Amino acid sequence: MPSSTSNFKRKLRLPRLFFSTPPEIERVHGGPPLEYERPIPEVPSRGIATVVVLMVIAATCAWEFYCRSIGYGPTLNDGEDLWTSARRRVKPDSIVVIGDSRGWFDLDLDELQKGLGKRPVQLAMGGGCAYPVLADLANDENFHGTIICSVVPRLFVAPPGTPPMERAEKAVRRSHTQTPAQRVSQYLAMPLEEHVAFLKQEELTLDDLVKRLPIPNRPYALVSPRIPPYFGTLDRERRARMIEGCAQPGKLQTTIQQIWLPLFTPPPPPTYIPKEEFAKRMGQAIEQRFHDVAAAVQKLRSRGGKIVFVRLPHSGGLKALEDRETPRAAVWDRVIKDTAAPGIYYEDFPELAGFNCPEWSHLSAGDSVEFSKRLIPHLRAALQM
Amino acid sequence: MLFNSLTFVVFFVVVVTAYWSMRSWNARKNFLVVASYIFYGAWNPPFAALLFSTTAMDFWLGRRIAKAKGRHSRRGWLVGSVCMNLSMLGFFKYGNFLLQNFQWLLARLGIIYQPPHLDILLPVGISFYTFHSLSYTLDIYRGVLKPTKSLRDFILAVSFFPQLVAGPIVRAGDFLPQLVRPPALRAGQFLWGLLLMTLGLFEKIVLADTMLSGSADRIFGYAGPLVALDSWLGVMAFAGQIFFDFAGYSTCAIGAALCLGFHLKDNFRFPYAAIGFSDFWRRWHISLSTFLRDYLYIPLGGNQVRPVRAATNLVIVMFLGGLWHGAAWTFVVWGLLHGSYLVVERVIRVLFENRARTNNLATRLLGGFATYAAVCIAWVFFRASDFTIAARMLGGMFGGHPHGDAILTTREMLQIALVTAGMILVHWSLRDSNIETAVMRLPRWIVTAVWAFMACAIILTQGNSNAFIYFQF
Repeated sequence: MPSSTSNFKRKLRLPRLFFSTPPEIERVHGGPPLEYERPIPEVPSRGIATVVVLMVIAATCAWEFYCRSIGYGPTLNDGEDLWTSARRRVKPDSIVVIGDSRGWFDLDLDELQKGLGKRPVQLAMGGGCAYPVLADLANDENFHGTIICSVVPRLFVAPPGTPPMERAEKAVRRSHTQTPAQRVSQYLAMPLEEHVAFLKQEELTLDDLVKRLPIPNRPYALVSPRIPPYFGTLDRERRARMIEGCAQPGKLQTTIQQIWLPLFTPPPPPTYIPKEEFAKRMGQAIEQRFHDVAAAVQKLRSRGGKIVFVRLPHSGGLKALEDRETPRAAVWDRVIKDTAAPGIYYEDFPELAGFNCPEWSHLSAGDSVEFSKRLIPHLRAALQM
Repeated sequence: MLFNSLTFVVFFVVVVTAYWSMRSWNARKNFLVVASYIFYGAWNPPFAALLFSTTAMDFWLGRRIAKAKGRHSRRGWLVGSVCMNLSMLGFFKYGNFLLQNFQWLLARLGIIYQPPHLDILLPVGISFYTFHSLSYTLDIYRGVLKPTKSLRDFILAVSFFPQLVAGPIVRAGDFLPQLVRPPALRAGQFLWGLLLMTLGLFEKIVLADTMLSGSADRIFGYAGPLVALDSWLGVMAFAGQIFFDFAGYSTCAIGAALCLGFHLKDNFRFPYAAIGFSDFWRRWHISLSTFLRDYLYIPLGGNQVRPVRAATNLVIVMFLGGLWHGAAWTFVVWGLLHGSYLVVERVIRVLFENRARTNNLATRLLGGFATYAAVCIAWVFFRASDFTIAARMLGGMFGGHPHGDAILTTREMLQIALVTAGMILVHWSLRDSNIETAVMRLPRWIVTAVWAFMACAIILTQGNSNAFIYFQF
């Protein structure tokens, strides 16, 4: 008489294939016998593996100590996955900071929370264009919160295909397509990055180290402008803070100042397009950006959302360059006019205008707290809070 | 889940530890099935259901083929399996491509038709696991494999995670026999598996992504005309990138399988040391070329037909091989180019057969160089996203833009030259050997130093890497 278990198996025929132990004759598969076995080299593998592990640990520790000795400290890398984890925290009525690295460094989330009643979500990104994120939030039917948008003109009107646009688009795309594996990798990477100084994805990777080799180039080689070295830390909320080594006068500060200038200087037009044609295309792309931004703002407002544009402090040679290449009337005034949104230009208010950016582009960690405190009344007024 | 990701590192450690700590062979196999589906579902969980349905259907069809009495009946069930697999592949991979071409054709006939855009997401590795699964019914039909009684074993054969998404294309007939008896844990085999995984990751992360991909992307993405030097270097960079990317994945897969006690065959055998194109295809993506040979070329008549028919068969096989790689006419041209290379090679072989001078070192080197150059020319169509880019690249390579731009930096040029030279040197020195023999011959300290160097270089890249190119296929 069959047991209850065997009855159960008989009724469910498919699971039988999993649970039953077939007779030996059934278990031997047809086809050719196991004719292929990979050769395994006869080497003292345990000894070799032990030495390799010791060498790798020693080299990794030595590299970590060296990186710390020249001023690097542990911080999170601002990849698409970290941005996605912040994007996921956006609730329908959230306050969201978008834009570039000035929004990242200069706005203190604690002070904004105190002043605005909610903790903002930081979605600004270093070297990123605000538009893809603005468009993403405008297209999010659930979102009807408040956007604080930092405007650095050159990044704000960056045309499609340029690094600021690609960086922002990549992050937005990742937030829509992130796989469970990518999400887990991000959770695993964070504790490592918070403790290991050499994990700097845009500075201390093998690729970056090779790029720094002093090899002279051909006259017309397209050389990417240098990116500033490590000068800030980033936490899990993506709040960036300038490190003291950069806030104080010294070599690091001077180096970064000199890096901003070529980075903010427009590149020469490509050789294969006539200059006039190139200028015309750029003009069209910028016009299109103004139009798209106005449309996105309109869409956001139609759901009850709010937006305020902010121009955050910049100083020294970079300010002179930015004011010359992208004058206020050309971008800022146009954005405010086209969108009919409130704007806060720091130079318009004496209490905001007196800050100095140590490396010309961002406030020090201490100043960012004070600046945010002083910015609150203006934000409340602009947002009618 | 990418091999070059932290998630995979943790996943692999957990899987290997749990797998070897289980005593029951059945429990281990059940565990591997679950792990493989987690590995696959970590990309897009719903697609795991698609993988399962394909597998279950082929399992059932395999039994029907084996049980069928008459030839027509057997063939009918096989046709069912082939149609099921290829229609799945066709819908997900070629749906939009077919619609676009249908629209184009109608437009030529003066009929305006606007097809709906199918927002189809391509399941990762569908081209690979479809072939894994299809090999089972094909081999049962050919009489070289008896159907397995265990659905679980067949699921594992199709979904075994090291080879699931980007090959090698492991035939059920090669894998199922390994599921009969449990493998023993052997330190030498396990550590060799780890070394192969390190080598594979080094090829992918360091050589393909760090040293070559940036230059290849810059050259193929440049919208203006380029001088010959930059064009050739860009194509050579891509030739190296795709080899290290794909061979790196295969090596990782072989290593990961070895760590679990399974043996997968080589998928690459130093292809850039090939002399001639038939030799190239015996060394490049071996699992695909043998699949196409056994299941398509030979059934079409193979070499046992008149020369013209054999040449046509070759071109048909390479046309389909090109289309397998991607739903675009550039891939078709790539396949057709290789088909025509093979035909031309056959003609040359007939003309110069038994000539003593064809066997000396200089001729062999010249043959190898010509093969590499022709393969590089074909890669232009593989890499270019459209024919405009391909034409611009070929124009640059053959001196069509003497006043074009020279955009590569000296560092990039040196990287391409050094990596390519190193790659070709290694391929030529090992062309009649294998990596295992090379490791046996090397002094221990060199093996140790090279392994440690590769591991350190991988750590130094910080996982700042891309997905494997072949995932998109």
